[in-house]
Amino acid sequence: MFSKKMVLIVGGVVLITVNVILLSVTSKSQSTSAFGRVGLSFVAPFQEFVTRSVRFTREIWEHYFFLVAVSHENRELKKSLNDAIEKNTQWNELKLANNRLRDLLSFQKSLTHRVIAAEVIGKDPSVWFKTVIIDKGKADGLQKGLPVVLPQGITGQVIEASERYSKVMLIIDRNSAVDALVQRSRARGIIKGASADQCRFEFVLRKNDVQVGDTVVASGFDGVYPKGLRIGQVSDLSERSSDIFYEITVTPFVDFEKLEEVLVILHPETEALASEQ
Amino acid sequence: MRYCFYIGTCLLLMIVQTTVLSHSNAIGGIYDLLIPFVIFLSISLPVRESLPFILALGFVVDNLSGSPFGLYLTFYFWLFVGMRWIIKYLRAGNKLFLSLAVVVAVLMENILIMGTFAFLGPDGQLPEEAVKNIVSQIVWALFTGPLFLLGFLTLSKRFNIQLNGAGAAPKP
Repeated sequence: MFSKKMVLIVGGVVLITVNVILLSVTSKSQSTSAFGRVGLSFVAPFQEFVTRSVRFTREIWEHYFFLVAVSHENRELKKSLNDAIEKNTQWNELKLANNRLRDLLSFQKSLTHRVIAAEVIGKDPSVWFKTVIIDKGKADGLQKGLPVVLPQGITGQVIEASERYSKVMLIIDRNSAVDALVQRSRARGIIKGASADQCRFEFVLRKNDVQVGDTVVASGFDGVYPKGLRIGQVSDLSERSSDIFYEITVTPFVDFEKLEEVLVILHPETEALASEQ
Repeated sequence: MRYCFYIGTCLLLMIVQTTVLSHSNAIGGIYDLLIPFVIFLSISLPVRESLPFILALGFVVDNLSGSPFGLYLTFYFWLFVGMRWIIKYLRAGNKLFLSLAVVVAVLMENILIMGTFAFLGPDGQLPEEAVKNIVSQIVWALFTGPLFLLGFLTLSKRFNIQLNGAGAAPKP
């Protein structure tokens, strides 16, 4: 009655229709059958195991590469950090040098004499003698006897000059002597080196007025240091009953432990300073 | 080549002493590092080789220092003479010799410097910090002097072996 082809078509349509109807019905209901739950309970552990294993393997794999990358990045960052620290140190050094040189420059402007800046490149090999080597010599116009100063005060004098380097005896050396005055009372004496950070102020008559805290300046009478340059401050004062002179200790304004750059006065004249420091 | 080693070591010690150590407050009054080197030269080189070298060394140090010219020249020369005399009786590698040589030499150098202060100085007085500095130098010399000497002897031996083959080290 019906051809086989017709039966197949009708059967297919019916099947699709039933399927659609069933789907429509089941899609409205979230409840699962007991069979479905059993299936879930049976399969899920395997799923979980396999999934976790895969995930674990993937994480290890990814972490390994991640760690390699992190390690590489860490190395790069450390290198960058070291570079930055080094640059920062250099920058700080430059900043400090800049400040010192600015001080020297402003001090240089206050002097009426021609000066040349020099860098301290070495110190005396012996602890007993206080000399330094500077990087300027005869080629730069230096010669024996020229005064060496800093904005803080007198530093020393050139005692030997080669073509490119010079030796400077600091005022704290035992062989150094500077004719000096107490700025306030004009009491005169000789500043001599005593120890690493102090000088003695000798031959100051007791009839003069000297007090602890007084500033001592160069008198200019020695023909080496220009008059008025600061030397130091009276830090100790004593009188011996039998002596006609004071025993005075002067602490220099210059910190000789931190000597890095100095100014050498090329043509010292017996002129006063252009401006008071 | 051997002389390059001696000159290089000498230069290194001199530079370290006048730059690095002189800027370090923590080191304090360290002794003249060239003393162990002069002792080493005196005991390990023949006279004709070591004496000119030591005199040149003294001349250079005198130029670098603010000391009366000739002080280091004099001291290094007499240190050399003293060491040559001592090694007639003691073996150069003797532990007692190594321990005391630098200390005694440091003490002698300081006595010589104090002598110049007392007799040639402007006021004939010794520095206030004299005792402190000398004690500090002797303590440093006691602990580091033998190490320096041993170091120089070992380095020199290895250097000579490398250059000339085993057993070619110079004999005084």
